Amino acid sequence: MLKVVSKVRLRENIWFWIFISPWIIGLCVFTLGPLIISIIMSFAEWDIFNPPKYIGFKNYVDLIQKDTIFIKAVKNTIFYALASNVLTMTGSLGIAYFLNKPLKGISVYRILIYLPSVIPVVAIAMLFRRVFSPNGFLNTVLGFLGIDGPVWLLNPDTVLWALAIMSLWGIGGSTILLLAGMKGIPVELYEAAQIDGANPFKTYFKITLPMLSPVIFFNMIMGLIAGLQTFGQVYIMTQGLGGPDNASMMIVLHLYNHAFKYFNMGYASGIAWILFAMIMALTLIVFKSSSMWVYYESEVKR
Amino acid sequence: MIRNNNLLERTVSYLFLIIVAVVLLMPFLYMISIALSSDKTVAENAFTILPGEFVFSNIVKILTETQVSRYFFNSLIICLSAMVGQILVSSFVAYGFARFRARGKNIVFMLLLATMMIPAEVTMIPQFLIFRELKMIDTLFPMIIPNFFGGAFNIFLLRQSIMRIPYAFDEAAIVEGASYPRIWANMILPMIKPILVAIGIFTFSWNWGWFTGPLIYLSSSTKFPLALGLYFFTETSNKGAIPPWNLIMVTSLILALPMLLVYALGQKYVYSANIGAGSTLK
Repeated sequence: MLKVVSKVRLRENIWFWIFISPWIIGLCVFTLGPLIISIIMSFAEWDIFNPPKYIGFKNYVDLIQKDTIFIKAVKNTIFYALASNVLTMTGSLGIAYFLNKPLKGISVYRILIYLPSVIPVVAIAMLFRRVFSPNGFLNTVLGFLGIDGPVWLLNPDTVLWALAIMSLWGIGGSTILLLAGMKGIPVELYEAAQIDGANPFKTYFKITLPMLSPVIFFNMIMGLIAGLQTFGQVYIMTQGLGGPDNASMMIVLHLYNHAFKYFNMGYASGIAWILFAMIMALTLIVFKSSSMWVYYESEVKR
Repeated sequence: MIRNNNLLERTVSYLFLIIVAVVLLMPFLYMISIALSSDKTVAENAFTILPGEFVFSNIVKILTETQVSRYFFNSLIICLSAMVGQILVSSFVAYGFARFRARGKNIVFMLLLATMMIPAEVTMIPQFLIFRELKMIDTLFPMIIPNFFGGAFNIFLLRQSIMRIPYAFDEAAIVEGASYPRIWANMILPMIKPILVAIGIFTFSWNWGWFTGPLIYLSSSTKFPLALGLYFFTETSNKGAIPPWNLIMVTSLILALPMLLVYALGQKYVYSANIGAGSTLK
């Protein structure tokens, strides 16, 4: 009897590995292998034409101590990630609040508001290069209001804001997620608040926001991580330069330039690992601190 | 009193939502306005927010005088191959994770989840070097091949939905003498069709708009997908020349249109897949 069982077990084991084998091969060739190559490369100097040379931590030391463009890129990236996320989150909290009301035509509206967020980034960036041009859409609108708009993409003070404003066009995605979260809040809470005579503002800040905090929190981490990896938008808006004067240089753009423009493969790998560390640190910090400000219904506060 | 309050609330809500819609849709109108402007307007950089001219011949020009139809075709090849790869292989692997008891399975599954946290930038350079060794630079293969090894998120999503199918179905099929690959192909796949459609949509939209990969791997313009080809419209041959903004916007619209169609039509599949993933992550 025992033998039969172990034979079945063995068969299951074999079939398991057969079924997952495509992914295992892909894991080795496209993920684990590259991870190992990448970390080794980050300790070397290599231009892919000459043999690589081991240089220890020099790439990392140079990046942190000498490379002023990299430091600027890190600052810009963090600024952009925060600005675009705070704008998007604030905006989508507002929109989701109104979308949650039983109004006529609201279901059509929900689809409409989501659609801009599915348009490929290249098309959006093309459009916004015109929107932000000196006599483009935005400055024309500002002109109606009597404001003299800046040269958005050529002014070091405004270029990151321009990118952050552009990211608002994808606001539909997070709005839909927040809306789904709002629909999950028990109606009894609102009824109780109504009986107690709470006004809409109080209800929003004392019930809706706290109940929504896990969704906001999750969205925020994902948004920040995506923000740190920004590449396409900047590349297209500034034609690969991160200009003016590196005012919109981003970590991944710097990485791309070193890897595929100057062929500093080792140096670029170093940048990739610093980015990886930043993403991991961010994820950990937010996860560890979440219990302080995220409310879960099942959780007992001590 | 209550009714008054309600009316005020409704008015404010509608007003707010209308303003948001206008703000989001105005740039889109601007896009159409530029797309339909004449070359003269482009040269003078005198675009209007609302369409003033209707030069529909710009569309004809795009189809006859540029490589856009070629780009479109390249994009289709990449997207369709990626969809086939992801749907078949991810569901195959997911079936393994969902249905077999095996030693070390939990560790392997944790590994699967962990790979989702690795940013693509870290593996990007070595992957480029690998494809360079394989002499596949400047071909579409680097964009296609990785899909035939499954995607971690898709595998995770599919595993969840396969696990929701009662195992009694599998047992019945086994009793009838069906092999596991047969059960996967003839029984499981038809039962998880909605989620497969959702994964098809995700894969399509990701690859349709993908910019970084093609930018790294491709150099000859005959192989460009639409997103990359569109970008190179703005790289005018001599510095300072004005890019053909009207044609660029027509192409942008051609790039956007399939995405709008796919999401408008496939909305319910995407929605249910998102909710499914959300509730299992809790």
